[in-house]
Amino acid sequence: MKQITLFFLSLLFGSIVQAQTLIDSIQQLDEVVLSDVKLKRYANGYKLTILSDSILRKNNTSLTDVLRFNSNIYFKESGFGMVSSPSFRGTNASQTAVIWNGININSQLNGQVDFNIMSSSNYNTISIRSGGGSVQYGSGAIGGSIHLSNDFDFKKHFNHTVQLGYGSFNTKNINYKTSFGHGAWSGNFGVAYVDSENDYKFLGTDKRNENGAFNNLDINLNLGFVFSTKDVLKLHHQNFRSDREFSSTLLASSNSKYESEDYRSMVEWIHIEDNYTSSLKAVHLQEQFKYFESKFFDDFSKGQANTWMLKYHYKREFSKRLKLNLIADYSYITGEGNSFNDPKRNAFSATVVLSHRPTAKLQYNLNARKDVISDFESPLVFSGDVSYQFFKPYTLKFNASKNFRVPTFNDLYWNPGGNLDLKPEESYQLDLGHELRFKNMDFKLNTFYIETSDLIQWRPNAILGYWSPVNIASAKHYGFETELGVTQQIKKHTLFLTTSYSYTKTEDIEKQQPLFYVPVHKTNVSLSYTYKTFTAFYQHLYNGEVDIIGNTLDGFDVGNLGLSYTIKTKNKMRYITDFRINNIYNSYYENVALRPMPNRNFNIKLTLKF
Amino acid sequence: MTIKKLYLIVLSIAFIFTSCSSDDDAGTPEPLGNYENGIFVLHEGNFFGGNASVSYISNDFQTVENNVFSSVNLTSLGDTAQSITFNGNLAYIILNVSNTIEVVNRYTFESVATITGFSSPRYMAISNGKGYVSNWGEFTPSDDDYIAIIDLSTYSIIDTISSSYLPNEVIAVGDKVYVATGIYGNGNELNVINTQTDELEDNITVGNSPDSFQLDSDGDLWVLSSENLIEIDTDTDLISQTISLGAAISSASDLNFDNGNFYIYAGGSVYKMAETATTFPTASEISGVNFYGMSVRDGFLYGLDAGDFASNGELKVYDLSTNSQSQLFTLNIIPSAVYFN
Repeated sequence: MKQITLFFLSLLFGSIVQAQTLIDSIQQLDEVVLSDVKLKRYANGYKLTILSDSILRKNNTSLTDVLRFNSNIYFKESGFGMVSSPSFRGTNASQTAVIWNGININSQLNGQVDFNIMSSSNYNTISIRSGGGSVQYGSGAIGGSIHLSNDFDFKKHFNHTVQLGYGSFNTKNINYKTSFGHGAWSGNFGVAYVDSENDYKFLGTDKRNENGAFNNLDINLNLGFVFSTKDVLKLHHQNFRSDREFSSTLLASSNSKYESEDYRSMVEWIHIEDNYTSSLKAVHLQEQFKYFESKFFDDFSKGQANTWMLKYHYKREFSKRLKLNLIADYSYITGEGNSFNDPKRNAFSATVVLSHRPTAKLQYNLNARKDVISDFESPLVFSGDVSYQFFKPYTLKFNASKNFRVPTFNDLYWNPGGNLDLKPEESYQLDLGHELRFKNMDFKLNTFYIETSDLIQWRPNAILGYWSPVNIASAKHYGFETELGVTQQIKKHTLFLTTSYSYTKTEDIEKQQPLFYVPVHKTNVSLSYTYKTFTAFYQHLYNGEVDIIGNTLDGFDVGNLGLSYTIKTKNKMRYITDFRINNIYNSYYENVALRPMPNRNFNIKLTLKF
Repeated sequence: MTIKKLYLIVLSIAFIFTSCSSDDDAGTPEPLGNYENGIFVLHEGNFFGGNASVSYISNDFQTVENNVFSSVNLTSLGDTAQSITFNGNLAYIILNVSNTIEVVNRYTFESVATITGFSSPRYMAISNGKGYVSNWGEFTPSDDDYIAIIDLSTYSIIDTISSSYLPNEVIAVGDKVYVATGIYGNGNELNVINTQTDELEDNITVGNSPDSFQLDSDGDLWVLSSENLIEIDTDTDLISQTISLGAAISSASDLNFDNGNFYIYAGGSVYKMAETATTFPTASEISGVNFYGMSVRDGFLYGLDAGDFASNGELKVYDLSTNSQSQLFTLNIIPSAVYFN
């Protein structure tokens, strides 16, 4: 890390003069510089939902809440702030890929991303791509992928944002962000800290949420540098630390604590010629955790994984209508911890993406990928998608794909129980989408069918006397999703409505029963009203009943209300005050059985922009 | 203590007298409750799942009722049921993760009291009018493990005694309580507690990870560990015999004694050894089974198959005269132990 910083500093001082001449070309490069380009360009037949900056700002300090109230994704959250597992279309957290600036960051240890130990503040955009994406995003992109991106703005600016927040349960947050664009340089830096006692009362009982306190710190640095008319260099770095107690339930008491720390660093060099673009990324990811069975004792168990990755992406434009992408990456991954004996993995993948636009209305993409990973055989995966605009507002989209999820370090090497005979999970799926796009309204309807097989599950082994993972289960998922967005502006009044609904049926084929923790119905509505610098919004979530082990868990409704007022001054300074009431109806609800969620609570934020 | 609880205690004491007198009388005894003549299957439930439960099956196998505790008392039993201990008319249900003991009338299953203040409680034995409950404390530290002593009349903890690491099954013999310690390969000691002085009196080194106890026809104590069966003279606390299980036996558990024979579950098979034997058998009686808990009584073996721990488990009853399965019941999530009421 230190060396990378030094390298950048030397570039900075050596190139200020030269940079001035590049400003014109930067405008053209801008769109290339946006991270994760293939997300938007080579997936026309997929449903893509982009959460804007304003949605991100409006929401609380929880990334789980941002997505739960603004997308079709369902979260299984084990009490507020505790382990939070995303689910697209009834798939599980290991079947959801999380992509940070184009790189898959799912844990090498358990294959998942816990959304309550992810920063909610320091991203410019969060994009949600529904449907299988293993060809482009690798293992785990079965139900869909969530893309967290940091973008660059090269226009000359130098902005600061300071935010202070305080809320119920002694919840405090403080953020600082700065962003600049100057000549050939652009960058942003952010620090965000959240701390909460999270000791809310369990409605209808005399209990509180015991042992649920948490705090986390996110540090984020992004730099972009255009160092010739054809070359761009980008740096992304993120450090996220979380210190969290694991709460008691209505029936079980807990003293446990979990500390995690993630480091993500990437340098990317993009070179642009008239008919081709190449990108080389060097990435280091480190994840580590310490689990304390009791916060009162020093004993802990730990795990750590390091990933070093080189990724090369070559894009050839044969014509404006025909493009070919070749992507190759190599990763070297190591693990260590109390439960394994220093496992290592070499992983190589090669991907080809052909993108063709025969007419202005028709575009299709054909993709194939092959992974070569030490320890097991990976399948050849492929996908095809097509979009066709029948008439002005209406576009039909279709995609079909084969996807996979590789066994994790825990699955293979956990001692005792790890099973070296595991093979990757496989999935086939179809998705048919309709999009209507009017001036003030967007509507999307997608129907999907997913079949997964060789699902890895840990089962008790009668002979060995301990648990071991096996490729045992298979499942079917089908259903549909809708999304509607409407904007209405009358003079200085703006109304903005977004709503989504999902209907998801699943079946565990072996047991002939629905999968656990998949709501058949989930819907959310977000309505906001803006007059001049005043904004009011209301969010509502209905989460239907879910099946759990041996029982069902009731569905619930929860609503949040927020007000925001901006004071502009004569100079650049702007003051924004936000007031928010979560769970305004004070409803009792459990997202995971026996873990009540917070009662009505309040949050106030003051933001300074200058 | 509420009036209702007091009333229940008075009632339960009354039941002891009725039950004694009805044995003497030739007339038809008054039923003591719905669950008088049958077995209980304790369901551990999922760790942190809060779905511990008890099922009842009548001795004639005609009546099967799940969730006995919650249907009688209209409240959840708790998280991760570990064991049940009976004393007089009462049953003490030990809830490992809830850190409680639910005390119920064993015939009606009506709640009598909840004892709190434990730290990962496991098993309970009764001696000299007191309860002795093994507690792990936190799993990893080896110096916070203890035996809690319960005043059975006030349902409260009156004293604690430090034990060796991971105290597990307990058995009372006269004025002693024997505590097996060191499950999962963490020790090989029996702590012996004098229940008159409530002090640790002796430590007996046995095989690794002592799992379960039985008393044989002569009143000698047998201890099953992961490596052997050890016979202890409970007058002298000296080991009188050690029988190795042999290398082929792994994960031995659930020592049972019925009709002069020991029964042991290990690695998907059931082994039978006469109390007079001096070597462990190599051939199994029943094989190809998957038991999470097992009990033997009066020529019948009750095996509990917890399946994948996420579906309803099964009770399989075997007739030991033919070693064939005679009954099958699908019960609840993670059945773990059988008790005869």
